[in-house]
Amino acid sequence: MLDKTIAQAVLDAALSTGGDFAEIFWEDRRNNVLTLMDNRLEAVNAGRMHGAGIRVYTGLSAVYTYTNDTSREGLLRCAAQAAAAVSAQGRRVSAAPLRELILSNRHPVLLTPSKTPARQKAEVLRAANAAAREKGSEIVQVVCNYRDSEQDVCIANSEGLYATDRRTYTRLSCQVVASNGTESQVGSEGPGAMRGFELFQGHVDPAATGRKAAETAIKMLHAPVCPAGVMPVAIDNGFGGVIFHEACGHSLEATSVAFGTSEFSGKLGQQIAAPCVTAVDDGTLPNEWGSENIDDEGTPTTRLVLIENGILKNYMIDRLNGKRMGMAPTGSARRESYAFAPTSRIRNTYIAAGNDDNAEIIATMGDGLYAAKMGGGSVNPATGEFNFAVQEGYLVRDGKITTPVRGASLIGKGAEILMRIDRVGRDMTMAQGMCGSLSGSVPTNVGQPLIRVSAMTVGGRA
Amino acid sequence: MLDQNAFLEKLMARAREEGLEACEAYVVEDDSFGVMSTEGEVVEYKSNLCRGLGLRGLKNGRMGYASTEAFDEEAVEQLIQGVLESAELCEDPDPEMLYDGSEPAPTLDLCDPAMGGISAQAKIDMLLAMEKTIKAYDQRIDKTAHNSLDTGRVSVRIVNSYGMDRSFTQDYCDLAGFATARDGAFVSTGFEGVVSHRYADLDPQRIGREAAQAAVDALNAKPVPSGRYRVVLSNKTMTQFMSAFCGIFSAETAQKGLSLLSGKLGQTVAAPCVTLTDDPLLPDGLASRPFDAEGVPSKAHTLVDAGVFVTFLHNLKTARKDGVTTTGNASRGGYAGNVHVSPTNLFFQPGSRSLEEILSDIGDGLVITEVEGLHAGANAVSGDFSLLSKGYAFHDGKRSQAVEQITVAGNFYEMLKNIRELASDLRFPFGGMGSPSVDVGELSVSGS
Repeated sequence: MLDKTIAQAVLDAALSTGGDFAEIFWEDRRNNVLTLMDNRLEAVNAGRMHGAGIRVYTGLSAVYTYTNDTSREGLLRCAAQAAAAVSAQGRRVSAAPLRELILSNRHPVLLTPSKTPARQKAEVLRAANAAAREKGSEIVQVVCNYRDSEQDVCIANSEGLYATDRRTYTRLSCQVVASNGTESQVGSEGPGAMRGFELFQGHVDPAATGRKAAETAIKMLHAPVCPAGVMPVAIDNGFGGVIFHEACGHSLEATSVAFGTSEFSGKLGQQIAAPCVTAVDDGTLPNEWGSENIDDEGTPTTRLVLIENGILKNYMIDRLNGKRMGMAPTGSARRESYAFAPTSRIRNTYIAAGNDDNAEIIATMGDGLYAAKMGGGSVNPATGEFNFAVQEGYLVRDGKITTPVRGASLIGKGAEILMRIDRVGRDMTMAQGMCGSLSGSVPTNVGQPLIRVSAMTVGGRA
Repeated sequence: MLDQNAFLEKLMARAREEGLEACEAYVVEDDSFGVMSTEGEVVEYKSNLCRGLGLRGLKNGRMGYASTEAFDEEAVEQLIQGVLESAELCEDPDPEMLYDGSEPAPTLDLCDPAMGGISAQAKIDMLLAMEKTIKAYDQRIDKTAHNSLDTGRVSVRIVNSYGMDRSFTQDYCDLAGFATARDGAFVSTGFEGVVSHRYADLDPQRIGREAAQAAVDALNAKPVPSGRYRVVLSNKTMTQFMSAFCGIFSAETAQKGLSLLSGKLGQTVAAPCVTLTDDPLLPDGLASRPFDAEGVPSKAHTLVDAGVFVTFLHNLKTARKDGVTTTGNASRGGYAGNVHVSPTNLFFQPGSRSLEEILSDIGDGLVITEVEGLHAGANAVSGDFSLLSKGYAFHDGKRSQAVEQITVAGNFYEMLKNIRELASDLRFPFGGMGSPSVDVGELSVSGS
């Protein structure tokens, strides 16, 4: 870990040219990746990331420098480089004495990945692979990845904060290809958590993961192409929550709100969604993929109600944008690694359970699309235009789920779609993803119960 | 912290002691600088000097991998133990070979001696000048956010136990402008950018103007009715497609059964007007380099020649498996990644007529200038795509209406065969990949 006396000296050096706030983010990370393909372990890769980033503000402008050399000299050099870019006229401040922030760990890890033999990790991949292949001869390829990561961070700033955290992540992902020789379709699953290897003892069944991915691939191989048009769409729980993530979540990050470039800027207290919609971003959920004890600025994470009964209640705010907005940070500052300056990011974001009955939701929708499994998506926060892929879809005819269809995508504008949600079911579940934005790629959960949107543009073939 | 040569010496000596049959270190150093501005303010200023090392080594004929960003004595042991454990577990029976460096690599000029002398303030001034151009372009320009300018120098060095020790250095810079335009309640965005080895290629006036123009052009866009439309993909859009689907030309993808081009060598896979080239020696190419991630000297290859599929891209391992010679397309996703296969400067050869001439021949249709969500809506295994798209409708060859909130759907493999014509406007908009605008025939559009 970062030595406190070194940290103090480095913070002082960072402020030496008149900056009014300085911060060090120190990181040491061990990653293990195992890949199984063609029925055999193809690659095993152990990596160590190590470095630190130094940030200095003057007013609302920030300088960020980073390095792999975390010796006293290396950090002082990095701080001097940051200080050299600051040309503040104000009085010079020195860093407050560092006091350690002690928090209880909300995310216990039972089996440390770095102490778990790689052979056991390989067994997880073999189990997933075997279960996927059992689904029949149409399965032509199974690619399974096991990843774990232990990230030690230490964050110190000129206001006297000195905080440490260890984030342990474990994830299995399976991509299964079904083919009939001329056409191929893919199914994928990727369960993970902020846990150690105990993830595979009662939380995630590798065989079930492989099987589910294989079932999607086979189903889609035999499915006709989705028709195009505007129709009601029911989106199922778990990864279906990617709709909220893209249609609204990103646009509530201070990164775009602070500059008035989000479609939801200046709308606190206003109705931005249908009254049946309540949405939450929660960084405190024990052992969830998007959780942390503290964020990457050292602020304890929080549970934040974003939308309550359709009314916009909160934004996700980091320190610097908070200053710009005149609002307190919400423990939402995140970064992929020391190579990124932090900014406000989504953690575990979901639409909370509602009161509607799943059977009724489908039975009353007439003709439309039921999206059982979603793929990824993206959004333009300025315009709210989003898109995402349907991994496993079904046509609904006269209130009944009928033929599976492939190749569908859903598009729209966030503000419009949120108002058009007309049913919210009761069975909220979450799923894991990697979310990319300004401060890199970070683990996030999406989630929701079954919801229905009264009209959406479905991309398919005319 | 040890200096690079001392660290490498120690590492190679320990590898010999542990009985590794061969080993190779891949070292990347990156010295970079970046500024970002929003609404006239510098909101981010970044600079760094970082390096990392990936070690791969053969033990009992199996390749193990490990990497580090720490360069202390402890890291030497972590790398050696990591490689040993990884090699022991690896079950891949196809031997992965190291290259002995016997053929000389060409020399390429990828550096800009002027870049190092440009002050941070001069770069900030250029970025803010671009912002001013954006804001002044049109009254309907509303905001400009997340504009960026980056410069940097990256060097790659490969050292192995067969005595190969080669390296190259390149400079890069980029400038990107984002504009938001507003007309009443309607908001649109526009983007333009440039990436180059040479700082003099950053033109803040042009980038600012074109970003602003793109945003203004997209104002009051609306969907067209769902149906089948004659579609022309702009050079930028076709390049986006290639970046999503280029994996199908990799022998590695094919050997894993994930490319539908498998077994199609020598067959017609595209229209006769289509020629696709990968040229790592392209002067000023953003993906140009003298040798690949295994140290193999670079060479240009035609992948598709007048519609006929000529070759996959290979590294040493995939070439050996297919009984051919490597095309020199080994790649590593940084020092921590394993060796894979990737294209370099991959581009469609341009045709002879301008986009305007082609549109005027077609008469009515859609020009797609931007697609979104390629990571989700484009499936490289099946070739299927269904993508959120923007652009404009044209009538009698003339631009008629800005279009948004539509999806364009089809299959990449089918689209290659349906290409009617490539325009003369070849461009490399984001990096190594490039294309002219392409008339792809009819595609399905979902709109209103």
